[in-house]
Amino acid sequence: MAALSLDKIEAIAPDQASLSAARKLLKPAVWSGLAADDAGLAWGECQGSGATPYRVVISEPDTGYKCTCPSRKFPCKHSLGLMWLRAEGKTVFNTGSAPEWVLDWVRRRKPGSGAAREPAESSAAKNIALAGHEEAAEVDPKAEARAAAARERTRTDREGAIAAGLDELDQWITDQIEAGLAGFSAHAGKSCRVIAQRMVDAKAPGLAARLDLLPPRLYALPEPARPQTAVRELGQLHLIAEAYRNQEKLTADMREDVRRAVGWSVTREALLSDEAAMRVSGSWRVAGTLSEVQPDRLRRIETWFLHEGSPQFAVLIDFVPVATGVGRSPYIAGERVGATFVFYRSTAPLRAAIAETTASAQPCTDAVQIPAQGLAEAVRSWHRALAAKPWLGMWPLAMRSVRVRRSGEQLFVSAADGAGPVLPLLASQATPAMPLVALESIDAAGLWDGTNLRMLFAETPIGRWTAE
Amino acid sequence: MNVRDLKAHILPALLAGTRRQPLPGVAGLQPDSLLGALSLSGQALRFAMPEGPPEFDVDSWPQDTRRVLPESVRPRMLRLLNANRCTDDSELAVALACSQLRLRPHPFDLPKLDGFVRRHSQHLGVAAQYWAQRDTKTESRKGYFDEDGPAAENWTEVPIAVRVAYLERQREHDPAAARSALEQVWPGEPADARVRLIGALQTGLREDDRAFLEAALKDRAPRVRMIAYRMAARLGGSPANNPSLAACLERIQKEKTGVLKRRVALKLELPANVKENTANRWIREQFADVTFDELAGALEIPIASLVAAAKDDQNLLFALAMVATTDRRFHALAEIANELPDAWGRMSESGFDEFSFADEQREHWVESIVRPREWMPEPALPAWGWLLRRIQSKLPEKVMRDVLKSKWWSDQLGGEKKPGTEVIQLFCALCPAGLRDKLREQIDELDADRKEVGLMLLDTLDGLEAVQ
Repeated sequence: MAALSLDKIEAIAPDQASLSAARKLLKPAVWSGLAADDAGLAWGECQGSGATPYRVVISEPDTGYKCTCPSRKFPCKHSLGLMWLRAEGKTVFNTGSAPEWVLDWVRRRKPGSGAAREPAESSAAKNIALAGHEEAAEVDPKAEARAAAARERTRTDREGAIAAGLDELDQWITDQIEAGLAGFSAHAGKSCRVIAQRMVDAKAPGLAARLDLLPPRLYALPEPARPQTAVRELGQLHLIAEAYRNQEKLTADMREDVRRAVGWSVTREALLSDEAAMRVSGSWRVAGTLSEVQPDRLRRIETWFLHEGSPQFAVLIDFVPVATGVGRSPYIAGERVGATFVFYRSTAPLRAAIAETTASAQPCTDAVQIPAQGLAEAVRSWHRALAAKPWLGMWPLAMRSVRVRRSGEQLFVSAADGAGPVLPLLASQATPAMPLVALESIDAAGLWDGTNLRMLFAETPIGRWTAE
Repeated sequence: MNVRDLKAHILPALLAGTRRQPLPGVAGLQPDSLLGALSLSGQALRFAMPEGPPEFDVDSWPQDTRRVLPESVRPRMLRLLNANRCTDDSELAVALACSQLRLRPHPFDLPKLDGFVRRHSQHLGVAAQYWAQRDTKTESRKGYFDEDGPAAENWTEVPIAVRVAYLERQREHDPAAARSALEQVWPGEPADARVRLIGALQTGLREDDRAFLEAALKDRAPRVRMIAYRMAARLGGSPANNPSLAACLERIQKEKTGVLKRRVALKLELPANVKENTANRWIREQFADVTFDELAGALEIPIASLVAAAKDDQNLLFALAMVATTDRRFHALAEIANELPDAWGRMSESGFDEFSFADEQREHWVESIVRPREWMPEPALPAWGWLLRRIQSKLPEKVMRDVLKSKWWSDQLGGEKKPGTEVIQLFCALCPAGLRDKLREQIDELDADRKEVGLMLLDTLDGLEAVQ
């Protein structure tokens, strides 16, 4: 069963030129050693301009890829070409065990994804893996103790630095309050940059990122709305600082949450091995994807999923350097994935990682089943989440029987009968969402940040609308 | 302390700056706790829902009876029309196919195809017209009518091109009723519209129209008078001297040639100040308002012999080609094309575009004048592009088959300098359905860059035509 489709290849291609170049590689004569296994791995060697052919491997279930060419586009034309050959299904791929260079790539990949599992039939791979484990078992206990002590020292030092940084942050916020937040946006760019740099020095990158994002967020708003937004955002910063200082009084979930908000990271391995972390298995639909460049020149790629049969959302967040050219999520809105998601611990769990994939992403034309709740109930879910996690960012809302309405250039979402709350739609979605105005009633999902709703998708009588 | 206290007393102090306006004493909040006041106020603001507008706009999307493009074609069409190098010709071919097949873009695709929709809304149905005019002030908007949509009660409200098309259709069924409808609105029409509308009477021109045409001979607009003259002349018995005819006759020399058999030879003498590069335009303007009958009568040559008499003068043959086109004398046009195969190429250079045909006439005209095996324009793009825009349709199979067999075409494909994507797209746009496979076969050897968008166009047109 091929997980790849031409639509998907088109979606992940960095640009049209890459697709055109990949098309030229559809001739089997360019390839040698084309093969695939049952786990969805496919590989081959593509003759480039040099003497040595490029080694290309792809993983169909999660659209992973690797090529030895020096291209700075990701995926490169060779990876796209191999995917294309697989999607078309016209070229014969030998079936067999993966060569060592393919297995090496598989081992280096993140565990948990379907392709990352070692091929069961590969006895050579098993031996290598075992050798690795044996080597790990022979670690010197004294060296391990020294390393643990060093780690503890580092952690203690960082806690001290963060505590000092939080005091500086509070002092900075106090200064802003004394000067008056009505005029904060006038100098927000410069002053936020200075204190963000201090937070970086204090090893609190989470707070630094929030501070760096504050000025662009303010400037995106109309001027009258900026002072109150400054109150909201600076208030959250103080809440995080205060919660961090009082960690011992918090629940375990909230403590984990506030530590991540400050900048402590949880490795994927630690998350997957955390028995207390929430796990949700089943069939998921891709609700939408977001891709934004952060001030630190990292691209933040979010893929939002909605569990089929419950109102649980999950978001996968990846950060990639802008220079790599990777611009979008490998998932397409509407796709269905069978997976177990493990959630980062939080009082309002959203961010997750895939622990196990039981069915790779497949295009799906069935309507996404929105939980049986209207707009008012969806907004109440946001209120509950906000109460549980005061520094909550975007929160997904799923709602049935709503209507998009227009007032001037601005679009709003309200219940189809007009009763209850009215949510303004993000200004950048005014044009793409305009055709929804013609529809009497739709089911929709979007991300609400307390000010604007970013619509992810809508199931309508004339088909599915997706944000792109 | 409650939310009202925070908003009424605390928030103003935070905004103004506590140096100027110290925090007021509110129960439950210490006056020196600036940060606590900030966090509480921020959270209070976060829980507050935004207020909707006092009223929403009433959007009245017109009811579009055309079928929405099915899912099988949508992605293909989006890919084509959003491709970087998709040309106007490809766009026009898709729009014309939609018009002919009574299809319309999916409403959700309108924002993604905004430029295409704005440029070709007249072919894409009333919903697309509404979309294209959504930013236009209400008072400046035109009505939304499908090309074959207007009826007797509303035909005066539609754009002029649609009105002319409506009148032409009416003339085919009931010429008297169509003329009567025109007579009713005639006095109130501006000169530009009168010029276009009177031209519609050429379809089904008959003796009953003479009274109306004679009244039009006294019209304020000289152009209307000229068109009325030529139509009255077609009815026989020119109502008055045509000043354009006199001007043409001044430039035509008539003499006898031949040794054994004397025959009449006509020659067109261009003014001294008309150079080679402006000759086509001058001839077009000079002969715009004369008819075949008038010329034959004034020169005292039978109509059947007129072309033979002019065969030694290419400029005069070109003039007769335009007159024959306007008079719909396709037999004479075919005779002219035998002597002057590049007549249509010269028409394209001259800016001759004041003619329109019903479907059958259009095919007849193309078959009469376009002789690809005898002459192909060099460069191809302007002339074939002009032809596409004039006929607003595909080439007849016979003509396209000749194109594909022509030496010019095989030289293009096999030569050193291959045709660019613009040329390939243009011929794909002109290619009738029955010859698309042959065209695909012929362009298959080209580089992907040159053929890719053309192939996408062929696939899209196939997809559109396959819609049941």
